[in-house]
Parts: sequence; C-alpha cells; structure tokens
Amino acid sequence: MTEPEPIPLTAEPLTYEAATARLEEIIKRLDSGEAGLRETLELCREGRTLVELCAAELEAVGQGLEELQLGELVARLEAGAGATGA
Amino acid sequence: MAEPQTRPAGIDGSTLPGPYGVGAYAAKLRDYLRGRSRVQLFGEVWNLRVSRAKVYLELRDAHGAVPCSMWRDDFDALGLGERALADGAQVVVAGGLDYYAGSRTSSPAFSFAITALRVAGEGDLLAQLDRLRKTLDAEGLFAPQKRLHRPALPRTIGVVTGEGGKARDDVIAGLRRRGWQGRLVWAFAPVQDRHAAPRITAALQDLAATGTVDVIVVARGGGSLADLFCFCDETLCRTIALLGVPVIASVGHHTDRTLIDDVAAMSCSTPTHAAESAVPVHCSDARASVLAVARRLDVHSRRALLHRAQTLARLSRAPGEHLAGERRRLHQRMREIRAAGRRRVQTERARSARKALVLDRKAHAAGTGAGGAARLSALASALTAHDPARTLDRGYALVTGRAGEIVTSAAAARQAGDVRLRFGDAAVDATITGHDDRA
Repeated sequence: MTEPEPIPLTAEPLTYEAATARLEEIIKRLDSGEAGLRETLELCREGRTLVELCAAELEAVGQGLEELQLGELVARLEAGAGATGA
Repeated sequence: MAEPQTRPAGIDGSTLPGPYGVGAYAAKLRDYLRGRSRVQLFGEVWNLRVSRAKVYLELRDAHGAVPCSMWRDDFDALGLGERALADGAQVVVAGGLDYYAGSRTSSPAFSFAITALRVAGEGDLLAQLDRLRKTLDAEGLFAPQKRLHRPALPRTIGVVTGEGGKARDDVIAGLRRRGWQGRLVWAFAPVQDRHAAPRITAALQDLAATGTVDVIVVARGGGSLADLFCFCDETLCRTIALLGVPVIASVGHHTDRTLIDDVAAMSCSTPTHAAESAVPVHCSDARASVLAVARRLDVHSRRALLHRAQTLARLSRAPGEHLAGERRRLHQRMREIRAAGRRRVQTERARSARKALVLDRKAHAAGTGAGGAARLSALASALTAHDPARTLDRGYALVTGRAGEIVTSAAAARQAGDVRLRFGDAAVDATITGHDDRA
C-alpha cells in the first residue's frame, strides 16, 4: 500500500468535506498497520488538526438556527464594512 | 337563516326591476346561456382536472381564457392518452355555454360544456419552452451550475420563496431533520404571477452578491406548469446558469420539468428534499463521527508510543540476555567435555585392565609350561649364533666406508677408497690402492 499523499498547502481554505476525506485516508493508513512510528505520529498530528477543523465547522452550524431577511443581512454587511472602513 | 316568505322592498331610488329571488334568476341565466349558439373553439389546455363525474380544464390563448367542463364518460370515450392533454396542448372543442345554478349548499359554476374534443397539436407555450430549452442546452448553460462545488456543510443558506407559502416551513423542517442550525437568509419574492421571474432573478443576484451565502434554495410548493411558468423565464435561467453560487431548485412539479430544473445545480421534488440536499451531512451523525475519529487517533498514537517503548526496553535488555545466553552455552559445553573425558578414561581403563589380564594369563602360561626353559635357551643360542662379533672373533674382518656403511664388494671398496677394517680386537683404517684381482 502506498502512503497517502499529504494535503498540499494552498491558498484555498480546507473544506469540511476535504478534511473528512483526508481523515478517512489517515485512519485507513493507520488501521493498515503499515505506518512506522514516525509516520504514525505525523498522521496523528495531522489528524488532530483536521478533527479540530471539522469540529469547528460543526460548531458553527450547531449554535441555533439564525433566520435573517436578505435586507437585514445586507444592512449587517454594510455596517460591518463601514466599521472596518472607519 | 330562515327563508324570507315575502319579497323584500327594493333599493330606494333604483329604477331597476325586482328584487327577484336569486334561484329563479340563476335558473333564467342558465336557460339563457344554454340558449346561446353552440360553437367550436380552439386554444391551449391548462389545468386539466379529472373528477369522478366530470373533467375540468381551462382553454387559453394570448388574449383570454374560458373555463370548460366535459362529462367524464364523453372524455373517456375519446380514448386519449394520459399525456395528450398536458398543459399547453392545442385542442379544438365543440359545445356551448352552460351554467350550474348552485343552491344554498353548493357553489354556482360557469363553464363551456364540451361535447366533442380534438387534439390539434402541441401548445405554443410548450413549443416555445422546448425551443428555449434547446437553445440554453446548445449554449452549454445547463452545465456551469453542475460544476460548482456544493459544500457538504454550508454555514449560510439563502432561500428564495413566497413569503406566506408552505415551502418556508418545509425548508425549515428539512434543515432541522439534518440537525443544521446555521444562518438562514430569506429572500422573499412572488413565485407565480408575471412579476415573479424578475423578482426571483433579483433575489438570486442579491443573495449571491453578499458573498456569504454558500448555497441557494429556490422553493415553491408545487402547482400546474402554468403556475410555474415564471420558472421557465429565459432571463432567470440565464442568470442562474452564470451565478457563482450553487442553486437547488424545488418548484414542485411532478410531470413537467421547468427550465430552472435544467439550469440549476440540482433539482428536487419538494422543498424539504431541497433543504436536505443543501446540507448533505447529517450534523449529529457527523459530530459523532468526528468524535470517533479523534478517539481512534488517540488510540493509534498511544499504541505507537507504547510499541516504541516496548521495543526500546527489549533492545536495552538484549546485551545482558545475550551474555547470559553465551554463558549458559559455555557451561553446557564444559559439562559435555568433562563427561566425554570421564567416559574416555573409563573406556581406556577397562581396555588396559583387559590387556593386563591377557598378559598376566600369557605370562602365567609361559612361566608354568614344561618346555619353557629349554625353548628360551634355544632361542638364546640362535641369537648368539647370529651375532657378528662371534664371526670377527673367528678371524674375519668387517669392512666399512668412511660414513660407516658396510662395504661388501671389491668394487665398492675401490669406489670408497678409504675404508675401515674392523677385526675382533680393534679396527684399522686402510686405503684401497691395488689393481683388480678377480678370482
């Protein structure tokens, strides 16, 4: 079995689905028992980072449904942009 | 309310006749309409409804429409296929005006009573729709939305729908079913009349322009294709095709596809399904999965460290264990050597004992035999007879070379030159000088 390719560092933020897909690869590699100590520890470290990312994404959609009308969202964004600009 | 027994007074100042009872007037109206000329009409069929006794439809064209009805038996006798009178089908009908007068407990209804019907061809609207579908497809506008990435876990979802419609509740129900509790942005717009398409288009553009919406659901609670025709608007469809945010369409028509179904990233049959499709991940399950993955990572990490610790401990014990093993092997070898030595000594001792016994027996046999002394004496005499000293004593001489080798011929004596002559009493040296004197 070949070692899974590490995720390249790009400017694009890692998506939830990319993170979960990579986690599946990592668990599969670890379960195979073919990874040495150094690789195992590196995969575990990478996996923990991805778990934190996934948990943060799930946390963001688990705080209670927030309903807005389009006008409210636009006003909020404009207020935010104004505050940033000021 | 009790039926008035007497006719009430009319409206003061009105010059119109009456008042008449409405039932009598309705009956007169029915008779009047039935008395009008029977004609043939042509137009497009819309909103066909088949009930147990009658079939209802609307006959439309660009300038107007008439509600029509037909007895179910007459309709069935036509033997038309299920799709022959789909919305937009062009038909010619024959019949006349009719009026159901109704009663206190039933509603009145006006309709053109059809007695004969012929399908004339595909309706203009459907033909126009088909042409537009082919044009958009040829321009490749069905593909861009399908290529957009739809996030598995969107943080913000935009919804374009009617403000008072049931679709709104259905969308929320679908999202709750997924356990999703993110930000939901409503962009309300009419979803049925001729003002709908521009408003829906503007709502979609505004939602996408915020830059924070991950996916947009366009939802309507169903209806006939005529009701949903705004979702076939060319500008709306072109806008969706080029929008940078994925759109999930749910306009709820089961038999006909609107154009928005073709250009959108995904088409769903109900707003609930659309909401679930907007969030492919079930959030509660996903949380459990992430937790399980975190635990498995911990297990693998601990197991790897434990394995390394055990390996190091085993390696640290290895030299001592190796020495102990070698020591054991050496001791064993020494024990084997000692045992082998003891066995050899015992074997040799037994063999020597056996030889000594044999010699003892021989010596005993020799010492105690009758002719033993005589035999020994004879052997001594024979030995003495062969002694060379006795021959020298009798006057013979022994010739030897310089190196002490025996010279036994004249030729050897000449070759040696200097010889020693050994007599019985002593030896003298001599040199061979004479000629050969062969006998």
